[in-house]
Amino acid sequence: MSEYIVEMKNITKRFPGVVANDDITIQIKKGEIYSILGENGAGKSTLMSMLFGMYEPDQGEIWIRGEKVNIKSPNQATKLNIGMVHQHFKLVRNYTVTENIILGIEPIKRYGGLFPYVNLNQAAKDIAKLSKRYGLEVDPNKKIEDINVSLQQRVEIIKMLYREAEILIFDEPTAVLTPQEVEFLLKIIEELRNGGKTIILITHKLEEVKKVADRCAILNKGRLVSVLDVKDTSTKTMANLMVGREVSFEVAKKPSTFGEVVLKVENLWIRNQDNFDIVKGVSFNIRKGEIFAIAGVSGNGQIEIADAIAGLRKISQGNIYLNGKNIKDLTIRDRIEMGISYIPEDRQDVGLILDFSLAENLSLKDYYKKPFNENGFLNRKVINDYGAQLIEKYDIRSGQGIKTQVRSMSGGNQQKAIIGREIELESSLMIFVQPTRGLDIGAIENIQKMILEERDKGKAILLISLELDEIMSISDTIGVIYNGEILKIQATQSLSINEVGEFMMGVKYDD
Amino acid sequence: MIRAKMNKAFLKIFGKEEWYLVTIPVFLILLSFIVAAIIIIFLGKNPFLAFYNLLQGSGLAPKPAYGGHKSMLTDFLSLLNYMTPMIFASLSVAIALKGGLFNIGVSGQMLFGGFFATILVGYSGLDWAIAKPLVLIVGIIGGAIIGGLIGLLKHKFNINEVVSSIMFNYIIQYVFSFFIHGYYIDPVSRQSKYISDASRLTLVNVQMFNLKMDLSIGFIIAIILAIAVKVFLDKSRLGFEIKAVGANHKGANYAGINVGRTRVLTMLISGAFAGLAGVTYYLGYFASIQPRVLPSMGFDAIAVALLGNLHSYGIIAASFIISIIDKGSTYMSSKAGVRQEIASVITALILLFSACSVYVQHKIQSKKDNLEYKARKEIK
Repeated sequence: MSEYIVEMKNITKRFPGVVANDDITIQIKKGEIYSILGENGAGKSTLMSMLFGMYEPDQGEIWIRGEKVNIKSPNQATKLNIGMVHQHFKLVRNYTVTENIILGIEPIKRYGGLFPYVNLNQAAKDIAKLSKRYGLEVDPNKKIEDINVSLQQRVEIIKMLYREAEILIFDEPTAVLTPQEVEFLLKIIEELRNGGKTIILITHKLEEVKKVADRCAILNKGRLVSVLDVKDTSTKTMANLMVGREVSFEVAKKPSTFGEVVLKVENLWIRNQDNFDIVKGVSFNIRKGEIFAIAGVSGNGQIEIADAIAGLRKISQGNIYLNGKNIKDLTIRDRIEMGISYIPEDRQDVGLILDFSLAENLSLKDYYKKPFNENGFLNRKVINDYGAQLIEKYDIRSGQGIKTQVRSMSGGNQQKAIIGREIELESSLMIFVQPTRGLDIGAIENIQKMILEERDKGKAILLISLELDEIMSISDTIGVIYNGEILKIQATQSLSINEVGEFMMGVKYDD
Repeated sequence: MIRAKMNKAFLKIFGKEEWYLVTIPVFLILLSFIVAAIIIIFLGKNPFLAFYNLLQGSGLAPKPAYGGHKSMLTDFLSLLNYMTPMIFASLSVAIALKGGLFNIGVSGQMLFGGFFATILVGYSGLDWAIAKPLVLIVGIIGGAIIGGLIGLLKHKFNINEVVSSIMFNYIIQYVFSFFIHGYYIDPVSRQSKYISDASRLTLVNVQMFNLKMDLSIGFIIAIILAIAVKVFLDKSRLGFEIKAVGANHKGANYAGINVGRTRVLTMLISGAFAGLAGVTYYLGYFASIQPRVLPSMGFDAIAVALLGNLHSYGIIAASFIISIIDKGSTYMSSKAGVRQEIASVITALILLFSACSVYVQHKIQSKKDNLEYKARKEIK
């Protein structure tokens, strides 16, 4: 018996145009928390997806408990006692917790020894036992759609345990959680380790690694850079290895000077498709030169507010004033022309047309104006020249310049293209939703710098982000949203990250 | 080693990347003819002879004997005549697909345009100088009405265009069949009465070089409009908006494009082309309407448009190939004794294989990546 429970030897995986994993060898001991650290696109998830049977390696071998295995499907991985919590949960929304957990391996009982049925009572009991043992309390009879993200994650964890997983893979588990919930999750992970499980933690957050992991493997651009003992290594060293150069965590920020009010949102109500009030009476102002951030756990109505201001979503009540004019009944294009730039959350599905060229995407909001459009026909030369100009100015990197299909570009460069296009509109209000999500550290620095530059130029900026660190470091004012209501609006300097975290969970103070 | 060589040879067939749009379809068409040949061999016939008969039947190869006033040229002109509505119908499908809409109702729109052109102009006795343009206009308007209506239903009530266009197909087919049977039937042919020669878009039995030829006016219009469609989609503002809505309607909406309006316009244009297909079919290639039957061309056009990669020139080429097979099949069955249905099998094979073009492209790309990767490794 080998001392390692998981060994991945010389793994190579290629996707069209990229080598996602290049000759990677890692060995994981039983009962340790092993962290896979790397920037977005470094190949962490790909590597672990192969362990979980979602892809097969092009080259290399996987050994589990000293035996060579060929994992062809997640089912096979489950049989080898491997479990995985994905970044996007794989739950059936209108099923109960119990039903989700037993899905696929339902305990069967027979009425009178004949007619089979799913023994839900037995399952509920087993689940209650499991959750008590690891401190993972959930109500087994609630439906998934009625419980919050952190509880859904618990369901995913119990799901693995119920399948008797010994090797637990967590893919960026803290991305959707508040600071307090992160603390709690890390405790659970340690608890699981103490219970004899082997944990693989995929993350790009250094503090988490430092806090719980025993060892960590650092990946950069598909290659294994180093395997370190976490307790002997500083966060700074890990960060430098991860990025491949020196990084600074500080954002240079000038003191703010606010001008007159640009955006005034008054008693805004928004209803979703199910006729459910998702935003309930939100009011706030944003002034010139101010970065107003809405902090909150995902799904509390913040995206809907941004969509409503940009005109992508109808409002059921309230008013939106831009520079003193009520814009609530204007079309999207009218609002753009009135001075709204919008960097949407979903850059691939909303912000860009992936099958179009870079040049076409860069003039996506100008193509109908002169000189881009003359008498109903587009002037390709103007579009191309304008594209080339923006590529240069915003350092957008791509394979074939203006002709590049945007689909083939990296996430960071796609985002730079959107931000460049939106800045060039010279709007008085800029809305940024999750501007740095999924980007690597270099791109994040770059984009945060651009947002601050726009602020210093005197623009009003609405920032919606799930990254609390980002909000704390660049915003001037924070409004914390919970369940469709803004609970608190306060200057950023006067708030601590923990206070914001508490408001995000709906704790109200009477002050 | 042998594998690597085979891979390289496989890649060589397709040439440079810019040419994939041409080389991949050609490769697939050849492949389908090979499969068709195997089927014909199993039937105990000579596949080369059968394929040669197809060319002879469609005027691309000389027949051993011709009837009076006939020659290879007349056969070829007849092919162009048949191909004309096919081009229009395929353009109709292609425009809708570019806009992200699936117009499966081309047949109904053809019949709608064709029926009104027949009763309003075909039976009117107008002079040709007025009648012929009027036929085109009625066809365009007729098709556009139905197409636009389908677009409007989608925009206003979110009714899926596939469902509504299939329903319109049925309504048009049976309602018009009722009127044809009731008012316009020719008791001998059991079809609608023949239209006047003045209103027909094909000049029939034109005497030249001692031959009687069918000259299709529609064919010239089809080629011109195919080029116009390309320019429209590539260069115009509306074309850009249609493509944007088709490629990503959420993104288009975000950019301020009025998605609903663009969709209605897309269907309006698509319907107009279907109407043109209808008049060149019913008042060009034919001169009457068979009641209770929808032209299968409206459905074949979906496949032709896809075979032509939704590209104007590709559609002309694809229509040409499919028309040869359709048109030549009668001669093939009489000469080689291969039944006419085999022609449909060949067509179906081409369409089946051409549906694999994305797969072939993927295959080429991954082989390329593999070769490059190995080359880099060796250098290291």
